[in-house]
Amino acid sequence: MDTSSAGIQEPFDLIRLSLNERVFVKLRGDRELTGVLHAYDGHMNLIMSAVEETIMIVDPAEGGQGSVNYVKRKMDMLFVRGDGVILVSPPSRT
Amino acid sequence: MLIFSVFKTLTDQTVIVELKNDLLITGVLKSVDQFLNIRLDNIQVSDEARHPHMIAVKNCFIRGSVVRYVQIPADAVDTQLLEDATRREALNQTKR
Amino acid sequence: MSSLQGYVDRRVLVILQDGRVIIGMLAGYDQKSNVVLSDSKERVYNTDEPVEEIPLGLYLVKGDQIVLIGELDLEEDESTDLSNIRAEPLPAIRY
Repeated sequence: MDTSSAGIQEPFDLIRLSLNERVFVKLRGDRELTGVLHAYDGHMNLIMSAVEETIMIVDPAEGGQGSVNYVKRKMDMLFVRGDGVILVSPPSRT
Repeated sequence: MLIFSVFKTLTDQTVIVELKNDLLITGVLKSVDQFLNIRLDNIQVSDEARHPHMIAVKNCFIRGSVVRYVQIPADAVDTQLLEDATRREALNQTKR
Repeated sequence: MSSLQGYVDRRVLVILQDGRVIIGMLAGYDQKSNVVLSDSKERVYNTDEPVEEIPLGLYLVKGDQIVLIGELDLEEDESTDLSNIRAEPLPAIRY
């Protein structure tokens, strides 16, 4: 990654520098993804490969203390529609 | 525009479209437009026992705005090409 | 436009954002995917009762309420006995 010549001036630069790197994506509906980023656009539509999705499902059990379940799923190559994206975080996280 | 172009190259590939109502529809991609509305042929809804609503539907038009994911065949995309095209488009955006 | 061209004058099934299912003849559409259905019926799905069909007649559905429009295979649709089908209503779209 060439950080020196192409510095980070605006938010999207951070995503640009994450191309071909594993990124963490938080989505609406208690979903998270990790995967290698290959494309994005100004809507934050993404194309990623080797994706692992984690869905958080809260079981509202009796007594007010619900248990949290995580469901995981793997997908080879995935287009993610930008309107569901909350954040994209560069490699450092995992 | 970039993503639209990518989808155009995926015509005639089998994809799995996941909607924001958790429905998964497998089918052959027939066309896409600039809103990323999708036309699928030869469709199959997963878990048909639970969702018999579309048994008699063989092809459909899906509104782009209700799509959560599209699973695409990994060998149908050149990732290097995609990244280069993305960098080029990003550059054009900032130059304006 | 990944258009609805081929669907005009065909029997279609329309799924709405709130999970409703409407069938009808596609009389027309525009570029915002607003559609006009003639001779339309709503199909109401229930887990412990047969599918109920409610006649709606001529219907205009606003494009932004539409999830999906599918062409009905008439033979297959007519050979499906709706009184044997029990199913949950489709879930609504959640953004």
